[in-house]
Amino acid sequence: MRVGFLLGEVWNGLRRNTSMVVAVVLVTMVSLFFLGSGLLAQRQVDTLKGYWYDKVQVSIFLCTPDATDVASCAGGGVTDAQRDQLRSDLDRLDGLVEEYWFESNEEAYERFREQFRNSPVLDSIPQEAIPESFRVQLADPTKYEVVASAFEGAPGVESVEDQREVVDKLFTFLNAVSLAAVGLAATMVACAVLLIGTTIRLTAWSRRRETNIMRLVGASAFTIHVPFLVETVLATLVGAALAIGLLWGMVEYGISGFLTDLLAGQTGMIGLIGTRDLWAIIPILLGGAVLLAVITSWLALRRHVRV
Amino acid sequence: MITFENVTMRYAKGDAPALSDVDVEIGRGDFVFVVGASGSGKSTMMRLIILEHHATQGRVLVAGQDLSRLPSRKVPSLRRQVGTVFQDFRLLSGKTVNQNIAYVLQVLGAKRHTIRQLVPETLELVGLEDKGKRLPHELSGGEQQRVAIARAMVNKPPILLADEPTGNLDPDTSQEIVAILDRINRTGTTVVMATHDTTIVNRFRKRVVQLRDGVIVRDQDEGEYDAVEEGLA
Repeated sequence: MRVGFLLGEVWNGLRRNTSMVVAVVLVTMVSLFFLGSGLLAQRQVDTLKGYWYDKVQVSIFLCTPDATDVASCAGGGVTDAQRDQLRSDLDRLDGLVEEYWFESNEEAYERFREQFRNSPVLDSIPQEAIPESFRVQLADPTKYEVVASAFEGAPGVESVEDQREVVDKLFTFLNAVSLAAVGLAATMVACAVLLIGTTIRLTAWSRRRETNIMRLVGASAFTIHVPFLVETVLATLVGAALAIGLLWGMVEYGISGFLTDLLAGQTGMIGLIGTRDLWAIIPILLGGAVLLAVITSWLALRRHVRV
Repeated sequence: MITFENVTMRYAKGDAPALSDVDVEIGRGDFVFVVGASGSGKSTMMRLIILEHHATQGRVLVAGQDLSRLPSRKVPSLRRQVGTVFQDFRLLSGKTVNQNIAYVLQVLGAKRHTIRQLVPETLELVGLEDKGKRLPHELSGGEQQRVAIARAMVNKPPILLADEPTGNLDPDTSQEIVAILDRINRTGTTVVMATHDTTIVNRFRKRVVQLRDGVIVRDQDEGEYDAVEEGLA
């Protein structure tokens, strides 16, 4: 079969079946959009992990004068002796601790005021209520437990906090988003499969005279099937292109634009995904679209277009 | 060219056979009328030759190939050797006469200049050289059937099957159609025509293979077809 003739047949098929083709395009677009979102969320988790795990610290908060309800703070505020003791304990954990520094009450209060500068809560918190702390950068962030157990309950220590726990909560959330997106994508892919099957069935019916003549004059199975296949692949590729467009819009304006500005202003958090991550998943999306079209068409053609 | 060896065909288990122990040999260049009342098995014979169905028992050989052993990927090449014409013409209504005939060649991957040469040539064979740009519904029944014959012959198959080609046509037009088939036969094409038109059969005096309830009851050169005996007149 010549290419010009094939394209003519494909064009006729698409024209005669516009509404079904549009349905296939849209379903493919939505399913690949969800698939892409899931993949991007996964990449976001990886990006953030790389970014945050280097920076997260263990904070050892020292007793404030009011924190007497905690056993290790029964004596009121932390004393100079206790502080020195903790400092020398930290020095002894040389292998585990990469570095640490002390945040005094004044510095902590200053940072607190900076963070909550727009909040009415600010004025009701006295400076003494903000604890001093040792900020510990671990050589290996996974060894948190060792450090925590060494200082938890030590005299003058109110609490030990691992920022990783906070970050991990975010990761859990992002993983759930990613999983939900992929789950929705799977549902939509199932829709796409059924819809493509139905489309081919209808197209085969509307074209049964041509197909019948092709069979009678001895056209090969490939010749008879290939216009259907090309039509489906084209429709899913258009759907994939639209999905990629949507994802690009989401990344470019939603994440790189809006979110980065928002978060950078508030917390200094960076490490968000960008369009580069989108380029990385485009082959997966396009490959997925083609695979979806080819496999589904092949199954539908075997059932509905006899040779 | 076409051989039926003890062929029995049942469409479903337990049904009465559509063909029962049929034994026929059709040679190269023959013209054969397959006659019989509706349901006698004429169309079943045709369908077995183009492998729309497989015989339940026995062997069908076409152009030297045993169809019961033909792998499915070789079915298209078998069909390319057999042109087919039907009672209902089966033309593509949206395409002109030229396009209908060219379609076959396009599907089979012919080159453009081959198509440009063969389409008018084949139209001339059926006497429609001036109707190439017409749409099927602008033609009479006889002309439509001639287009269908041209389409069946355009890739020059050695065998032409015609299943009740005159079933929708008046007697004069039917004669014209069979005359065209006769002319095609004289160029060396094996022609098998299923019909229950006694006038045609008795006028053209060709070999007659008569079926009744799936059994061959007559196989006669320059044979005739008795309508009274068949209950048709």
